[in-house]
Amino acid sequence: MSTVRHIILLLLLGCGALHAADLTPQQRFDKANNLYQQNQYSDAARIYQGLIDDGYTLENLYFNAGNAYYKSNRTGQAIYNYEKALLRNPDNRSVAHNLALANQRVQGFTDELPLLFFQKWWIQWEHLHSPNGWTTGSLVLFWLLIGGILAYLLVSRLNNGIMRIVISVVGVCFCLYLFMSVFTYTAAHSHETGIVMSSGIKAKAAPDQNGKDLFELNEGMKVQVLDATAEFCKVQLSDGKTGWVACDEVKRL
Amino acid sequence: MMVCQVKIRKWALSLFFCLGTLFSASAQDFRFTTNVSSTRVAQDEPFQLQFLLENASNISSFQPPSFNDFEVLQGPSQMQGTSIVNGRRSDYLALIYVLQPKRVGNFTLAGATARVNGENKRSNPVTIEVIKSAHGAASAPSQPPVSQQPFPPRRSSPDDEYTEGILRKGEDVNAKLRKNIFLKVDVDKTNLYEGEQLTATYKLYTRLPTNSSVTRVPAFKGFSAKDIELPNPPQASTERLNGQLFKVFTIRKTLLFPLQSGALELDPVEVDNQVRLVKMVHNNQKRSRDPFEDIFNDPGFKDPFNDPFFDDFFNRPEVSYEDVPYKIQSTPVKITVKPLPADLKPASFNGAVGNFNMTAAIDKTNLSTDDALTLKITVSGQGNVNLMNMPKVDIPNSFEKYDPKVTDNIEKNSNPLSGSRQYEIALMPLEAGDQTIPPVEFSYFDPVAHAYKTIKSEPFNIHVTAGKQNKRDKQDFSVDKNVLIPVHRAPQHWTKDSGYLLGSLWYWILLALPLLALVLGIIYRKRLTYQQNNMALLKHRYANKAALKRLELAARYLKEGKDHAFYEETSRAVWGYLSHKLQIPFADLNKELIQSKLSSRHINGTNTQQLFELLDNCEMALYAPAQSNDKMQGTYQQAVKVISQLEDELKTKQPVV
Repeated sequence: MSTVRHIILLLLLGCGALHAADLTPQQRFDKANNLYQQNQYSDAARIYQGLIDDGYTLENLYFNAGNAYYKSNRTGQAIYNYEKALLRNPDNRSVAHNLALANQRVQGFTDELPLLFFQKWWIQWEHLHSPNGWTTGSLVLFWLLIGGILAYLLVSRLNNGIMRIVISVVGVCFCLYLFMSVFTYTAAHSHETGIVMSSGIKAKAAPDQNGKDLFELNEGMKVQVLDATAEFCKVQLSDGKTGWVACDEVKRL
Repeated sequence: MMVCQVKIRKWALSLFFCLGTLFSASAQDFRFTTNVSSTRVAQDEPFQLQFLLENASNISSFQPPSFNDFEVLQGPSQMQGTSIVNGRRSDYLALIYVLQPKRVGNFTLAGATARVNGENKRSNPVTIEVIKSAHGAASAPSQPPVSQQPFPPRRSSPDDEYTEGILRKGEDVNAKLRKNIFLKVDVDKTNLYEGEQLTATYKLYTRLPTNSSVTRVPAFKGFSAKDIELPNPPQASTERLNGQLFKVFTIRKTLLFPLQSGALELDPVEVDNQVRLVKMVHNNQKRSRDPFEDIFNDPGFKDPFNDPFFDDFFNRPEVSYEDVPYKIQSTPVKITVKPLPADLKPASFNGAVGNFNMTAAIDKTNLSTDDALTLKITVSGQGNVNLMNMPKVDIPNSFEKYDPKVTDNIEKNSNPLSGSRQYEIALMPLEAGDQTIPPVEFSYFDPVAHAYKTIKSEPFNIHVTAGKQNKRDKQDFSVDKNVLIPVHRAPQHWTKDSGYLLGSLWYWILLALPLLALVLGIIYRKRLTYQQNNMALLKHRYANKAALKRLELAARYLKEGKDHAFYEETSRAVWGYLSHKLQIPFADLNKELIQSKLSSRHINGTNTQQLFELLDNCEMALYAPAQSNDKMQGTYQQAVKVISQLEDELKTKQPVV
């Protein structure tokens, strides 16, 4: 009886896989969660990855994908996803915890220096709004600013000093929002950090296959990408060592 | 009391006797005989005396008879063996003496006594007749009796070694060497599995006295080798090959474990020999050859080169010896190594081949996080113990694992290699709670059964209590510190990543729209202020037009002959024009004001005169009607002329404000 049920379940799963596109994202998410619960981590990771590839970039989705990758022993992917989740919300304690666990698996892992207080403040400030939030805010403030100026100009009753102060405050806010919007946009598009995706990679002294070996990179290491040619990237480890590796080996955040 | 004891003893003895006879009867034809090579010997002639125990078991003592009238030249030497005569197998033990009579006469040697199976046995006595020496007694006393006395030939003796050491005339040295010295490699198998044990023995076979040294030892490429210790100095054994006896020295005995599959080769061993050959010198020809052989046949000369007698003998002028260098090499041995079967290879297999047993144990099941426990894994058995890897143990993350301590206990010179290897792994619990270490699994390949075998231990359940942690541990040992936070299962708000608004066209359009509004607003505002500032100017600008409109109306009245309406309209046109042009409110209009305004613009002379004339005409016509049609026509013409002239002048002469 139970075997029959299993077969039916398998068939259903097979059909489900065929019609994965028809399922709602929430159904796919739930399916992956169930697979994870049944210790089928690789399958779960595949579904999470599919959702991410479809453009759903939720913090919790990245977190779950990181867990599934961690459990299926793909440390590089796990760390990549945790870092992605952290980029969305640096205050997520559970992501930070699991990232620390995953980093324990990284050979030669060197912890990053703790951030100074103003860096922390800056990051908190940066994440006050999402990048699009900053942009929308700047738009709204701009409309307010223009409306204010128009009112000041056209309505003689509002043509006074208080209105002028209000307009200048809104103007400053608009500039701030516009700056933050541009900043977050460039930060999101710079891809300056990356995660090493396989183990035993030799960092070379020059962007060339025949370069002298300097040190070894292992799966899951977080590196700063300082420079890049078509094939090679100059990476820096958190302990300051720099070297060239093939860009394919580093998945940029 | 005493009597009783004696009786018991007697009884026991008789019982033993009975049992003894019974046993002897049941044994296969026990015989104990004395044989002599000859019962009639010359006085200086040695002879052989042999005591033969056939089918004797459990010989505890042997007592030869007294040889008072004989000199023992040699013995007792012992010989043991099995003979099958007419299908009947019998074991024998022979004790051999070589005797030489001292005197002439008849002598009886009593039988020897032996204790067999706890019973005293006696062999038969023999009588020897000693006759006078045939050679005469002259030479006998002057020389040592042993060296000169030839023994009767005993070809059957096993000790006929080194008889080939004499180079006979016409013999080829090389052929002789080749025949009598060679190397041989013994392997117990040539077709085996990877990792299976192979025993290779390198042996030197020789029938010649030689001084040999090994110059090249095999490297055993592709094998892991473990040498068996050989006695030093090397001990020779004898081996019969093609009916000839050889002395065999084992050069090297090695246990080999192939590390790779395929066709492998055991390297040859190279040995340098210095063979000492004896050469007959011509003047010695007349000597009988027998004595030489017999001397070498002497079993007492185990090591003839160290014997002073030997040197003495060979330094004699009749013979010379020669050291011939001879290099020999063994033939390489081809070994075929089969790879281990790939199918059905268990996941836990890591190279052990042989026959093993594994035990795993932990030293405690109840401990605190301050404590450590030891997992002890012992693998013992026969096979490649020295090459074994540690069985894989999946230590849960909740334990800190230290590198194992490996203790080897390999039995010395065991063949096949056997022993045990012990791994001790120290484990530090990191979390409190009930923990389980999964079973330790060990797999090996049994080459005899051609199959993989797996041994699995029991899983270990450990109860860990929270210990008194020092400050570092506060975080590390808390429950779930090392457990992954599980996935979030709550429904999510599914929105696709819409890209960055900043980069989109919409953003810039939305940003541009209010700017446009602002521009429009500013323009509007500008116009508004302009209009507010120039209302009078506008009126002034349209004054001419309004006047002309009035004059058109007046012209209509003129045609219709309505003279009153005509004059009224004409005067309005002129007055309105002046009011707008000079920006004087309509109510304030009078001739003086107009005069001053116009003069302030430097408009004087005929125009002003005509203007006032026209105004007077109109006023007059209004209050004194009945004007002729021509007069009306003239007034109209005058009005048009005055207004247009005034317009021209006002345009050229801007007011000074």
